[in-house]
Amino acid sequence: MTEIVSPYLLFIGLLIAGIGVAVAIPRRRVNPQAIGAVIAGGGLGLVLLSLALTNPDAIPNLHFYVFGVIALGSSLRVITHPRPVYAALFFILTILSSCGLYVILAAEFLAFALVIIYAGAILITYLFVIMLATQAPSEDRIEVLAEYDVAGREPVFAVTASFVLLGALTALLFTGSATLESDAAPGDEAARSMAVMELMPGKAERLLREQGAIGKKDMVVKVHAAEGVAEVQTSEALTTVPLPEGVEPTNVELVGFDLLAEHPGTIEIAGIILLMAMVGATVLARRQSELEDEAKRRASEAIAARGGLTADAVIADTDGEAG
Amino acid sequence: MDMLTTLAQADLPAAMAPATLAHYLFLSAAMFAIGLIGFLTRRNLIVMFLCTELMFQAAGIALIAFSRFHMEQTGQTFVIFVLTVAAAEAALALALVVLLFRRRDSLDAEQWSEMKG
Amino acid sequence: MLNLAESITSLLTTATDAAGGLQQAAGHGAAEAAAHGATHATDVVMGPWYVLLIPLLPMLGVVLVTLTALLGIRTKLPAWLTVACLGGAFATTVVMYWNVSAGPAVTYGFRWIDLATGNGHRFTADFGLYVDSLTCLWMLFVTGLGTLIALYASEYMADDLKAGYARFFMAFNLFVFSMACLVMADNLVLMFLGWEGVGLCSYLLIGYYFKKPSAVAASKKAFVVNRIGDLGLLMGIFLTYVEFGTVQYAELFPMVEPYVELVKSGMAWDVPMRVGLIPVLFMVGAFGKSAQLPLFVWLPDAMEGPTPVSALIHAATMVTAGVYLIARTYAFFVVSPIALPIVAWVGAATALVSATIGMAQFDIKRIMAYSTVSQLGYMFCGLAFLSTAGAAFHVLTHAFFKAMLFLACGAVMHGFAGQLDLRKLSGVAFMKGWGIVGIAMFVGCLNLAGFPFTAGYFSKDMILAEAFVTQGPGYSVLGWVLLVTAGLTAYYTFRVFFRVFVGPRHAEPGDDHHDHAHDAGEHGDAEPDHHHGFHPHAPGWAINLVLALLTVGSIAAAGLYFVDKENHGWVGGMIHNSSAYTSAGSAAFLDSANIGMHVDDPVGTGHSADHDDAHGGAHGTLFGQDPHKIMYYVSAVFGVVGILTAAYLHGPKGPLGLFIGGRTKAATSRADGLADAMMPLPTYARNKWYFDEFYGALIVKPLRALSHVFHLIDKLLIDGLVNLIGSLPRFVASLIRPSQSGLLQGYAAGMAAGLAVVVVTVWMVIAVTGGGS
Repeated sequence: MTEIVSPYLLFIGLLIAGIGVAVAIPRRRVNPQAIGAVIAGGGLGLVLLSLALTNPDAIPNLHFYVFGVIALGSSLRVITHPRPVYAALFFILTILSSCGLYVILAAEFLAFALVIIYAGAILITYLFVIMLATQAPSEDRIEVLAEYDVAGREPVFAVTASFVLLGALTALLFTGSATLESDAAPGDEAARSMAVMELMPGKAERLLREQGAIGKKDMVVKVHAAEGVAEVQTSEALTTVPLPEGVEPTNVELVGFDLLAEHPGTIEIAGIILLMAMVGATVLARRQSELEDEAKRRASEAIAARGGLTADAVIADTDGEAG
Repeated sequence: MDMLTTLAQADLPAAMAPATLAHYLFLSAAMFAIGLIGFLTRRNLIVMFLCTELMFQAAGIALIAFSRFHMEQTGQTFVIFVLTVAAAEAALALALVVLLFRRRDSLDAEQWSEMKG
Repeated sequence: MLNLAESITSLLTTATDAAGGLQQAAGHGAAEAAAHGATHATDVVMGPWYVLLIPLLPMLGVVLVTLTALLGIRTKLPAWLTVACLGGAFATTVVMYWNVSAGPAVTYGFRWIDLATGNGHRFTADFGLYVDSLTCLWMLFVTGLGTLIALYASEYMADDLKAGYARFFMAFNLFVFSMACLVMADNLVLMFLGWEGVGLCSYLLIGYYFKKPSAVAASKKAFVVNRIGDLGLLMGIFLTYVEFGTVQYAELFPMVEPYVELVKSGMAWDVPMRVGLIPVLFMVGAFGKSAQLPLFVWLPDAMEGPTPVSALIHAATMVTAGVYLIARTYAFFVVSPIALPIVAWVGAATALVSATIGMAQFDIKRIMAYSTVSQLGYMFCGLAFLSTAGAAFHVLTHAFFKAMLFLACGAVMHGFAGQLDLRKLSGVAFMKGWGIVGIAMFVGCLNLAGFPFTAGYFSKDMILAEAFVTQGPGYSVLGWVLLVTAGLTAYYTFRVFFRVFVGPRHAEPGDDHHDHAHDAGEHGDAEPDHHHGFHPHAPGWAINLVLALLTVGSIAAAGLYFVDKENHGWVGGMIHNSSAYTSAGSAAFLDSANIGMHVDDPVGTGHSADHDDAHGGAHGTLFGQDPHKIMYYVSAVFGVVGILTAAYLHGPKGPLGLFIGGRTKAATSRADGLADAMMPLPTYARNKWYFDEFYGALIVKPLRALSHVFHLIDKLLIDGLVNLIGSLPRFVASLIRPSQSGLLQGYAAGMAAGLAVVVVTVWMVIAVTGGGS
């Protein structure tokens, strides 16, 4: 039954969701954004329902649905809110909800890194730029919305293309998931992460010393993760001690080892990219200020040509204003 | 509700079923599609860049989900690089946006069509 | 002999494999020589090293003259360098002549071309020089005349000191180098290099006044017409290589020997057709270079070049290259049953036609040009009448007196600002300072007219007599044609002399206004009756010296006839020791050969040109007498009658007109009335029997029309197609150009749609193939 029903249910849901999104895109005259949002939400709910129906045994937990709905709803609001500042704020909400998803997926380090970098740094930069690049409201025009924010362009085409893509991807995902096999055998994951412990004899030594399993002068020489023991060099002899509880590596340790041990070259490349971005931003800013000087010079020459003041005086004058 | 217990990772995470992975991937694809719609429809340059960040974020969710599915850290490592690139892109793109705004006093993407065929 | 017959039979049966056929046909010793790739056949000795100087010295001249041009030297230095280099080459030639033994010698320079042609064959051509008496004969007058004419040109070309002096002498040296390659080559390929080299120099020098449209047209015409002949020669060389597997003379001649033997034994028709075709192809080349009937039209136009060039290249040396070619490869010609008769008929027809044209021309240089063509016809006839000695002797004497005549005409042209019209010049010989020119002209005219006891008289006699001696298709008719032509030659030659050099003194200048930067003393006091501003300048010491030397030489050349009487003169002796004779075999062979035309005369009654005392009773006769003896008188009569006719029609009153002339003015004579009476023949002759117009209508116009057709096809069809293809992208672009809106989001939408299409396609594929499993 599911083979027949769920694809159609999926596509009907996507169609409804697409119509809803298209309605929710800002328009100039009639702007039923709330209705669109409701339709889109209904459509997406239908889609999720159909997806849950395809394999009722393997549905994710409730937190997935909570964070997922928040993430999708706020991202829908990012693209539909006519005011850029609100769009940026809704984007922060999207980030936060996806951080929740990260935590569900056992990626705590990245969840916090995302909050710090995205919500804390990048989005603040966006907000600053939005402030810099928005015309101030004037007396005759209280409405500060710019013309280009009021209406989207070609929403129907964009929604069609995107939802066709989404539909095809979803169908593919759920077709492919039947044949997808995890390369992590059950019970293997603990062994995998414990293998990292062999690289961290220091951590084992600290834990063992805290628990009093070894003396102050004893040293852990080597960790045998598979046997769950550590080789310890005491003052007398070389003995083996079982590893303590809670010695399993944390997420940060795992990511750190993966980052530094497996991808050192990529780190270098990332460093270069950041350096180039810094240099590029500097160059762009400098060009900008030079352009301003040039504009000032032209304006002063124009004024001087009209009469009265000498060019130098005008420059001094405009400089004083700028200062 | 044993569902709630899965939120707290007191223990090592258990492997995820493929069908569960597909749900995360659908979420990622949907977020990507929404970002794409935004990029195509919104005419404000800043909002367009926000939409690209949205698409980055969607890719990040997919990467983390795969990382969990395969019980490997490489997916998470990759998200770190995505963050790096996003930061670099934000720095450069926003500098450019400011530059363009000073030129035309507008953030309208349709103001810039010198490459017309 | 039986062996040979067998090998010939097998040759015919295995004619498809040329190399194999060659090995069997050559059989005896040449095959071995070819087999181990020996450069020289065993019977050819090594030549002395210094003969290499003969081509190398003119090449040195080319380099030195080019250097002077690069250094911007504006003096007569190039001329002196040329004279020195060519003089050195002449001296070397003389040394070579004294030292050359009877047999041929080959001097090896370096290996020039060495190609593996597949199937284990090799194609080799050396820069090697083949020295025998024929080479010596030719090189003696080529370098000798080259030196003298270079000396002459040093003065003649002085007007061009600023412009093309070095260019002229560069090409001059290059010509002598090429001519040396042509004559001295020990293989056909090097000979062809020289052949093309002289053609190139001829082109360069005819077009020397490249600002003159007629000179440019003439040079192009010479080049194009020569290409036709060169194609024939080239194909002949190809065929030679295919047939014999070598192009070295020293290997070739022994290989032809069996075929000569075959002809000798009366089996001329057993010679393979391809071997018989080689001389026909060579003959086409010779006709082109030596301006024979179908291809003669370029030579008169070649007179647009400077006169020294006309004298050296287009009268004395280059145009005799065709004669040389036939003489050198004479063995090929005697084995072909058709080649020599064609040569005879073409030669005689050329002689007659160009003589009639020469009678009606007014430009004295052109008259000389047509007489050159005519005399070349005599030489070809001499070759065809099995009188290589007569042909070579005529080449030699003609080289001297025709060069002299041209140089005398050149002196007139130089002195009278380019005036060449015989109606506007008169009594030139009696102007101050023109005496030597007059004498030279007189001696030259006597030679050309065949006045008794001049060199031209003896050499012409040798050819004319053989026309009646040698048996061939209509040869006696040709003899009479040539006799009449001799009379016409005498007439038009002395027409020039009587009109221009004697009679009332009168001169109108031509339209060349060069800068006459001469001393007053050099000016002749011509009679500037009508043109008071014009002062013709008499020739200087260089021109006079050269003319005097040539005059003496022309007179002395007659003496050569009496040297070595046994071999029919000195030249005959030279020929006797060369491939032109030795390959052709003995007198006995020539008796029996008779070129296969004499089916009614199987025993062979034709006679050698070279043994006029030795032949038996059966003999062609003229007036019932031995032609060798009676021809002395008959040709003298024709010559004298021609001269008297000229004197009557054109001679001035008084002793200089032989008391029968009646001309008192420069522009008119008794001939005008006669010409009116004979209308329209003189007009036809004056217009060269409309050969140019005929060729124009037959070849040039159809080609031009065809080219217009192709131009249209090119323009409409080809260009149309190309433009269509070119406009196709533009059309397609105009359809999809609106998609390039320049808007960022437009492109992004395209990308998104494309991505959607790709993913949907993947999905469809997976759905159809069942989940990819």
